[in-house]
Amino acid sequence: MTEQQFRGLEVRDLVKKYPKAERNVFDGISFDVPKGQVLVIVGPSGSGKSTLLRTVAGLEPIQGGTIALDGDVLETGKPGTEKAGRSKRPSALRTRIGMVFQSYDLFPNKTVLGNITMAPVLVQKRKKADVEAEAMALLERVGLADRADAKPHELSGGQRQRVAICRALILHPEVLLLDEITAALDPEMVREVLDVVLDLADDGQTMLIVTHEMQFARAVADRIVMIEDGRIVERSTDPDEFFAHPKTERAREFLHTFEFERRRKHEDGEPIREFEDVD
Amino acid sequence: MDWSFIGHYAPFFVTGALMTLTISVFGIALAIVVGAVCAAIETARIPVLRQIVRVYVEISRNTPLLVQLYFLYFGLPKLGFVWSAEACAIIGLAFLGGSYMAEAMRAGVEAVPVVQRENAVMLGFSRLQTVVHVVVPQAASTALPGIVANVIFLIKESSVVSAIALADVMYMTKDLIGMYYSTYESLFLLIVTYLIILLPISIVGSWLERKFNYERL
Repeated sequence: MTEQQFRGLEVRDLVKKYPKAERNVFDGISFDVPKGQVLVIVGPSGSGKSTLLRTVAGLEPIQGGTIALDGDVLETGKPGTEKAGRSKRPSALRTRIGMVFQSYDLFPNKTVLGNITMAPVLVQKRKKADVEAEAMALLERVGLADRADAKPHELSGGQRQRVAICRALILHPEVLLLDEITAALDPEMVREVLDVVLDLADDGQTMLIVTHEMQFARAVADRIVMIEDGRIVERSTDPDEFFAHPKTERAREFLHTFEFERRRKHEDGEPIREFEDVD
Repeated sequence: MDWSFIGHYAPFFVTGALMTLTISVFGIALAIVVGAVCAAIETARIPVLRQIVRVYVEISRNTPLLVQLYFLYFGLPKLGFVWSAEACAIIGLAFLGGSYMAEAMRAGVEAVPVVQRENAVMLGFSRLQTVVHVVVPQAASTALPGIVANVIFLIKESSVVSAIALADVMYMTKDLIGMYYSTYESLFLLIVTYLIILLPISIVGSWLERKFNYERL
């Protein structure tokens, strides 16, 4: 029996512990992100969403399970590595996964263009002229071509985050990890960043996204995973169905926290539930 | 105030200033090297060496330069190490300045956000590339005001070398006061000399701080 080679990111039975912690952060969590698809992870604060992304990125060691990309194992968990720093993943494997963080930290001493071209020139030894041309094309795509020579401190948070996306994209990562990339932004800048992400999704960029923007999650996701306390509460390949009719009580409760309503009262204390015409 | 005295003895202060500058330039250059090495050891958390650096920093910062100089100039010869007064002054200044520089540089490195290093890792940078292209430029930016302040502090502190008979500006002043009781004139020349040395350094320092402050608006 021949098995078709899986294309995309595979996380199998991932175990993650912190030193001295009583129980594991993850106790054998598994999920896939097929090539070209977008998996959105939602869940309450402290549920382990960011930690999950960081283990996939190789920024935190894992104590069990495997992380594989197109069948190539990036990381195998080893017990007793709780205190180890970053995993020893070789640079060539590392750059197959790109990451954008919540804090929109660019390298402050470089221009916008310098930030984007640094890694391909330094790490991949590509020709500077080629890299700059590609960087300009990326900036064009995110609407920042006119800011190529600006310094990071001259940009808004939303603009910096779009540059950070370009900086990750220029290495052609097979999977892009986005860790709450709009959580630290002013509301009016969230849109410009998320539009870029939607555009990438349309283009077939494989992505693993952690976000608190539920409307956005529903629009961008091909798959949804909700986690809490390091466990998968619910998973779905139909985001519309998940948001409209979550199967578990816990998911229903969680999604309800994003809905608001005011319980206005009549003078006699009876709540008003509907709009009423007042003459 | 006797202006003719000032005109006559000003050249003494030029000679003294050259001594002050010579001791300071070599002492501070050495202090920066010592500081950089110590800061690297501390931030890289190298065991054993790190503890040695801590002990050095505490001894260096908590003893007066004058006592350090006496130890080098009068104490070490008893143990068989004989140094020239100039060498003692330079080593003494480097010994004191090294710890101040180390602390300023360490603070600079520690102020670089962790996410900057994580970005570098995700972009495939090697450890060396991360240090050279990400950590050092940002750490230098934060450490620069402290380093400039230390440079000025050490030049002023170099006045102590007169105690081991080096003819710096302080030595000249004490000499002239002793010989001619010209307290006002000599002290006036002393202050003017220090201002002529230090003001340009202060101005250049402020300019550098502005130039390398990447977060400025």
